[in-house]
Amino acid sequence: MSSWDDEDTASAAATTDVELLKRAWRNEKAAPEILRFDSPLVSRAREQIQLLEETLEDFTDNGVDDLVVSLYQMDLDRALFLLRSYLRLRLQKIEKYMIHISKSDDLMSRLSLQEQRFAKSCTEIMEKHLEQSVLSKLPYGYDSVTRQSLSSTEDDMVPEPQLDTFVFCKTKSDVGAFQLDDIGEEIVDLVADDLYVLRYKSIKGLVENGRIDLI
Amino acid sequence: MYGRRASQLLKELDSCEPGQLVVFNSDVFDQVVRECNEHNAQFQSLIRKMVDQNLDIETTRNEDHYGAAIHHLSLLRNKRCLIAYMYNRAETIQSFRWKLGPVLPHEIQEKLHFSEKEYFKNHSAAIKSYISEMDIDLTVDMVPPKDPYIQVRVLEDIGEVSLGDHSISLTKNSLHFLRRTDAEQFISQGLMEEFLE
Repeated sequence: MSSWDDEDTASAAATTDVELLKRAWRNEKAAPEILRFDSPLVSRAREQIQLLEETLEDFTDNGVDDLVVSLYQMDLDRALFLLRSYLRLRLQKIEKYMIHISKSDDLMSRLSLQEQRFAKSCTEIMEKHLEQSVLSKLPYGYDSVTRQSLSSTEDDMVPEPQLDTFVFCKTKSDVGAFQLDDIGEEIVDLVADDLYVLRYKSIKGLVENGRIDLI
Repeated sequence: MYGRRASQLLKELDSCEPGQLVVFNSDVFDQVVRECNEHNAQFQSLIRKMVDQNLDIETTRNEDHYGAAIHHLSLLRNKRCLIAYMYNRAETIQSFRWKLGPVLPHEIQEKLHFSEKEYFKNHSAAIKSYISEMDIDLTVDMVPPKDPYIQVRVLEDIGEVSLGDHSISLTKNSLHFLRRTDAEQFISQGLMEEFLE
């Protein structure tokens, strides 16, 4: 962990794709809801991983020193872990809030095409499971997955993420006076490179446009 | 008391270690389902009674109305409990795919409702098709890598395996120094363990 922190401060200026992926991964890990999938970044990271793999193959073919090879291998392993873990985190978030995500166009648009298909089939599978194990045995009017009964006027049985949970975050640059609530009673001055514990809901916009990082 | 049985199901969930499952409680589950239908029958008969008396069911507030409301709310409560029970179990079953792989061990299979077995199978297939669409295996590399090589002990006879450019014979109890990525698949299947001195 300590080596990562060193890297962070060193690479504030030169931001590599791996660094960006690490940031996306960290944000995704800390955010209660699913964030926008960075398609270009993921495909760039995959290209670089492939390049590293090819370099490694060349190395072994040409009999390069084992130590060098294992250093490259370590680098490759870390990048691969990051990518896999990032994709996995997102899938697990989709698993957790599948129904909530698949009924919202806004949330669906944050997913990659493959994730959208995954979310849809997950929801279908879950609905089928609940249907055949519980709902089909209940009386008419009480057999909806998303509503408690016919008298519910909106979906009241769908698990949703808690957006007003507190998150740790770090500002990248000065944001200035920032309003935390709707009425302007709580204002905080966000200065560069400082740590805060704030409600996710109020800084959601800053996370989305990359002005603040979750940690 | 109405709803007590249903809450038993949730207590059962709650008393279970997170990530673990107990045997599907089909006795209580079926009783709660029966209760739901009894509530509904009572509810319907009270409504019918009010209709027969030519009362407006929207506005009348007599004892039958409140009786019906109690049956309606008890039914809702039971439904929420049943779904919560099923849904929470399904979440645990989902997590098995990541922790244990696509085939569940026998002792877990035994604890599942038939629909849960089907759920696991279908859900695993959804993950599998995502993985093949993305062309990247997400079931390996579950912990951050430290050293690219690890020392492992073979727990079952695996036989001749080709890893990269050479093949090795993995006989029971032998020790090997392997690439972590190669060893991980065997470790998750329980055929090897990391050997720590």
